[in-house]
Amino acid sequence: MSSEPTFESAQRELEQIVQRLESGATELDEAIALWERGEELYRFCLGKLDSAQGKIEQLATRVEAAKP
Amino acid sequence: MMKVEATAYGDRKVFSVSAFNRGIATWLQRLPTVWVEGEVTELKRHERWQSVFFTLKDPTDGACLGVSMPRGQFDGLRLELADGDRVHAYGRPELYAARGEFRLRALSLERFGLGDHLAALERLKRQLASEGVFAAERKRALPVWPRKIGLITGNDAAAKRDVLTGIQTRFPPAHVVVAETYVQGPRAAGAVTEALRRLCELPELDVVVVARGGGSFEDLLPFSDERLVRAIATCTVPVVSAVGHEQDTPLCDLAADVRASTPTAAARLVVPDLGELHERLERARGSLGRGARRSLELKVARLGQAHERLGRAPALLVERRRAALEQAAGRLRALSPKATLNRGYAIVRANETIVRSVGAAETGERIDVEVSDGRFGARVE
Repeated sequence: MSSEPTFESAQRELEQIVQRLESGATELDEAIALWERGEELYRFCLGKLDSAQGKIEQLATRVEAAKP
Repeated sequence: MMKVEATAYGDRKVFSVSAFNRGIATWLQRLPTVWVEGEVTELKRHERWQSVFFTLKDPTDGACLGVSMPRGQFDGLRLELADGDRVHAYGRPELYAARGEFRLRALSLERFGLGDHLAALERLKRQLASEGVFAAERKRALPVWPRKIGLITGNDAAAKRDVLTGIQTRFPPAHVVVAETYVQGPRAAGAVTEALRRLCELPELDVVVVARGGGSFEDLLPFSDERLVRAIATCTVPVVSAVGHEQDTPLCDLAADVRASTPTAAARLVVPDLGELHERLERARGSLGRGARRSLELKVARLGQAHERLGRAPALLVERRRAALEQAAGRLRALSPKATLNRGYAIVRANETIVRSVGAAETGERIDVEVSDGRFGARVE
């Protein structure tokens, strides 16, 4: 995969798909494709939530002062 | 320039104390005249002395600098200084050669109080506002789920703890990079600016929080420093400013994309609530299934309707034809002479020719009279 979507963009797309499906104005093939894409996005988001590891790290060196 | 002579002892060049002091004093004279800010302490003024002496103290770390000033000049200013008064002294460094004491030789002195700081701050604020640095259109929305969060704070500040605790409680998977730096004193503005620059170099950094607890007006001054304020406004990622308490408004608060009233509030702003995120995701999934089913049901219903209409079509066609036929028959019947006879008219024929006038039948002639239900004979009289 060239660039993985962010959780945010995946969630946004999922919610847009839900909206389109709820409007009922989609063709059948399209509705099925949307549903499949929605499930895929759901799994992606859930995976992100479940796999993310919290981390606190320090910036390598203490910032003493600006260079002049 | 005075020549400083050294005495040679073999390979060693040795200066007398006096020569050394004079040498340093001469060298110091090459330094420029500058303004120095500090608090006046230990002011000594004597009618017999040519100069007045006092010590300038840095309020942030207590660093001291001896100052001398020609008494006539000092008196002329009528500053009536008391210990602790903040001043700006204009002068150049000098060495009092007789005692080897380094100090500032002041040529001018100005009182610089809180009011002056406020006025300078107000000027800067107006200037930056006129450039649009604080403009609402510049504000960026914070990411829902930042991949990496930069946190700039003092090294053992309560502010740091509050932000980290807030973030981890609300959103355990958060990834925070902490940049510890000075958040007070003359180096703070530069250090925070540098920390911001370095954090922004990190890949996947999506937001920065600048957090500092409450403090005096002076303590928070670095957060109104022009360099820092501009750096925040032009930062490549959104910045949340949580500096001081609710009532303080350092300029960095105005330049930041979002201002948080406390470090804990800043934590709430930069990360989503994990529980809520899960709920929202499950809701979306539920709706997704319902939406897909509804979409399908609609199609099925529409198909059913179409099929039903298709089935009814032939019967409907025959029905329509029949109705058209009935109508035509009705019209035909209305035009037939039979309908006229029904209304009481009769057709009279003589020798099978219809009698249309009196002259067409002679007296005594036999005629045929047709009425609605048949014919009968008659004779003309």
